[in-house]
Amino acid sequence: MSEKTYVGKNVPKLDAREKACGQAVYAADLQLPGMLYGKIVRCWDHAHARVLKLDLSDAAKVPGVVKVLAPKDVTQKNYNTGVLDLMVPEEMGQLLGDIEDQRIFTDHVRHQGDAICGIIAESEEIAEIAAGKVKVLYEPLPVYLSAEESARPDAFQFDERKPGNRAFQLPEQMFPGNAYGWGDVDVEMAKADLVVEETFYLPKVKQCQMEPHAYVAHYDQTGRLNCWTSTQMPKCVQPKLARLFELPISRVNLISTTIGGGFGGRLGMVFEPETCAMALAVPGRPVKVQSTREEDWIASESRHPGKYWIKLGVKKDGTPVAVDAHFTSNAGAYFSHSSGVPFTTGGWLTGMYKYGAIRYKGDTYYTNQAPSGAFRGYGNPQTNFALEQIVDRACTELNIDPVEWRKKWHKGVGDDGWCIGVPYSSCALDECLERGAEAIGWKEKRARYANQSGSKRRGVGVGVMTHTSGAMPMLLEHTTCTVKMNEDASVVITLSCSDLGQGSHTVLKQIAADTLGMPMDEIHILVNMDAAGFDIGSHASRTTYVGGGAVIKACEDVKRQLIERAAIRLGVPEEDLEIKDRQVFAKHDRDKRLSVMEICHTGVYNFTNPENGETNGVPGQITGYASHFPGHNSPPFGACFAEVEVDIETGEVKVIELVIAHDIGRAINPMAVEGQLQGGAHQALGMTLTEETCYTEAGLCRNNSFTDYKMLGPTDMPKMTTILVEQPDPIAPFGMKSVGEAGPVNPVGATANAISHALGIMFTEAPITPERILQALSEQKVA
Amino acid sequence: MSSRVLPQFDLLTPQSIPEAVAMLSQHQGQVSVLAGGTDMLLWNYIRKVKPTYLLRLSGLDELDYLNYIPGEGLIIGAKVKIVQLLEHPDVAEKFPALYQAASTFATPQIRNMATVMGNVLRGSPAGDCSCAILALGGQVVLQGPQGERLVGIDDFWVAYGVTERKNDELAVELRIPEPTSTTRSAFIRMTRVHEDLAKINVAVCLEMKQNTCQRARIAMGCVGPILVRLKQTEKLLEGQQITGELLEQLAASAQEEIAPIDDQRSTEEYRRQVAGVILRRVIEKAVGTH
Repeated sequence: MSEKTYVGKNVPKLDAREKACGQAVYAADLQLPGMLYGKIVRCWDHAHARVLKLDLSDAAKVPGVVKVLAPKDVTQKNYNTGVLDLMVPEEMGQLLGDIEDQRIFTDHVRHQGDAICGIIAESEEIAEIAAGKVKVLYEPLPVYLSAEESARPDAFQFDERKPGNRAFQLPEQMFPGNAYGWGDVDVEMAKADLVVEETFYLPKVKQCQMEPHAYVAHYDQTGRLNCWTSTQMPKCVQPKLARLFELPISRVNLISTTIGGGFGGRLGMVFEPETCAMALAVPGRPVKVQSTREEDWIASESRHPGKYWIKLGVKKDGTPVAVDAHFTSNAGAYFSHSSGVPFTTGGWLTGMYKYGAIRYKGDTYYTNQAPSGAFRGYGNPQTNFALEQIVDRACTELNIDPVEWRKKWHKGVGDDGWCIGVPYSSCALDECLERGAEAIGWKEKRARYANQSGSKRRGVGVGVMTHTSGAMPMLLEHTTCTVKMNEDASVVITLSCSDLGQGSHTVLKQIAADTLGMPMDEIHILVNMDAAGFDIGSHASRTTYVGGGAVIKACEDVKRQLIERAAIRLGVPEEDLEIKDRQVFAKHDRDKRLSVMEICHTGVYNFTNPENGETNGVPGQITGYASHFPGHNSPPFGACFAEVEVDIETGEVKVIELVIAHDIGRAINPMAVEGQLQGGAHQALGMTLTEETCYTEAGLCRNNSFTDYKMLGPTDMPKMTTILVEQPDPIAPFGMKSVGEAGPVNPVGATANAISHALGIMFTEAPITPERILQALSEQKVA
Repeated sequence: MSSRVLPQFDLLTPQSIPEAVAMLSQHQGQVSVLAGGTDMLLWNYIRKVKPTYLLRLSGLDELDYLNYIPGEGLIIGAKVKIVQLLEHPDVAEKFPALYQAASTFATPQIRNMATVMGNVLRGSPAGDCSCAILALGGQVVLQGPQGERLVGIDDFWVAYGVTERKNDELAVELRIPEPTSTTRSAFIRMTRVHEDLAKINVAVCLEMKQNTCQRARIAMGCVGPILVRLKQTEKLLEGQQITGELLEQLAASAQEEIAPIDDQRSTEEYRRQVAGVILRRVIEKAVGTH
């Protein structure tokens, strides 16, 4: 690793100061002249119903109401909030069976919170008063809350294109038997000395980003639809809105606002369609739509809940001869990510260990829960809960150390990655396991906690993971970047990569500063959708890896031009020049030099001497550009160790410590990497221990706020030790690998395994609440 | 429907207690009293109650006092915030159950705003300070058009969210009796995460003579529509030496005496399972053997 000024350093986040001072401007803070307020009227009393009659007359009469919008008053086109249609070729989308099944306002309520009409008024208060005067006559329809219920032959059919309410299964044409993997699972499984099999239940967990969804839209006097949004994917939402409203892409403009957390919750469209439909109804006047936390909860997407059946066959020595697995997920009310999540969930399974044979099936069923969609990890936490626990069960039965088993059987360099056919380029999991085990005191504690008495029982557990750095080759991977050199040699980087708060813009600036050899504070990042080229969006742990790759290439383009011009001015061949300390030097004659500033300045202020016609430099402002398609996905690995204490009289779990060792390749900003791991661990512990969106039998959400949906608070968090294992990836820029989505994955398995170690009971249902623990303990008397 | 907009109401700001009582009399049954506002301003409360008038105590600084009077006990004015209990040295020393309830109460931000009286008036079976006060005993002082009246805490809560306070009365003070040198008290609660409402809570106040409990008050929350005293269990405890065997009997008795339900925070079954455990633990905590 060559010495860098910024890369590898704990550079504070660019947005930290303004966020801490409350000065960051979010969409909800925007005030535009003449702005109106939109209210999406939602169905709160039914999870499944037909609107027989919608009477907006009283609402329209409320003074200050500008317009009321029934379903027929907006576009009749359907849409899908997800963005898979832009990320795979059309034929692939057809093969996967992706459909558009959402309407802006619907007369068929498919989940509590479905939007039925809209009110536009002079104030938010008026819009709300009018919303209260909307009269709706509903015909209740049967409510289905699980795949088992909606898959019944006599069940109401949600969509004629999806018989049996099965929104998705792995397509037969691509995967014979609707499964992927390798080898003959039935034959190999028969060779196993031990077969362990279990069905795990995964909860519906919410992203809980701090900023509830809020938007402003304005159909302006030039006939352009402008939308202020904190989307993770501005360049994808733009064409999706264009298609939905049948406008050319050039007439849709996205303005990215400060993003108050994403975690997948802002992947694709959320309430942009409703907001833009309202703006189109009142041309010339901006419309703001803000959602409450409760609305955000019941009407935007969550992680896919479901059942995860897994069967593992092993030899006496631990050799994993076969795995058979089937994830049946709950899509909720609309298609959305119905193909993407169950498809990908198996990738994290097949990518982890060297099974002799494996067969993975994944499918999705419609229900009347709020739609499921993208959430940090995209199927990986679900796989982790099932896979890491079933592995530990086999290890326990065979008396094999779980760490040693993982060291022996995890995949590594040259093995097929999560995408079969794309081999791993690097793997530091052994070092993660060794350093993590050392840090938590694995061997000593495993032995010490094997025999305990008393009301408090300790346990230690391990969980490993692999993820990806960008979604190549499964999905389109493309980021563009422009680097403009100003006359004072300061730099403006224009791109459309979103910073969700994870620090991606900080990291991209560090990368640019070191590539250009310029100080960070003379580099600015401009995120403007008219100025910036394409980017597929901030998802799939890709922004540093792919966005960083684009920044490096665009900066290299600038350097090439600087050298080209210096070569002319100095009379030195380009190959003999190098850039250092903001100077272009002749390698063999340090006196021959030209400052970067002079090249940039004379490029802009390029004067011609009227006497001799000579200019003072090479004319033209320098701009570097890259349109970057990464050649790989350099997957990271990680090992997490958890220590817990379970009170066997109350079932309460206290997480004592987490040690998270992550194979980062090279940390561009170690502090930011640690932040990602710790924040991710917080979400993982929530899914494992406390978080679940619950419904009544009628399908109404029982906990649509933080009063009754409990995330861990600061005082609930354990001591966390993060270990960044830096073995640079040979392919990746700077050797870096991703961390964004890794965080919420393996603390899930590690914590579940630690509880299992403490009690000798494996919990198949998450969250593992004190109620479930005490029930299990009363059924299975603990010594 | 969920909303970002407060409903319409008229705001009343009396400048004296008699003025406040007069306003309550004038608009009987249409007034909600606002002190810390931590409960009142939650959408799920104010939108359910839809008061015509909101009477705020901001002009009544005479209700902001917290005094320990030797020989009498603790006097808590209606505007005293939870955090003030934590800052008063005598509360920690003389009323450990109340101090312990206050110290785990909600979040620091809420402790800085919420009042002790508000917790009592809310009439929730999950109230932590209320649970401690029920165990410690005491009285609520109500000021009405006919003057002052005192209601014992045992009789103050009549149903979920309903108290003995009449519509024209202002609750002005809480009185908690002086403990003796042999009084021992403690509070324990269980929650889903630290910053949460209780799924079950318990407080005890015991008169001890060496290891013998002479008199006992046991209060438990989230095991019925209002906070309850476990009187049968108290009887089992009184006059007895605290032994492991007795604690097991008390635990069994507590399980019998409660009537919990399933809700979002826990289940009936679980509450029954742990009621005895936390009772045992809170007694041990009070007498110092935990």
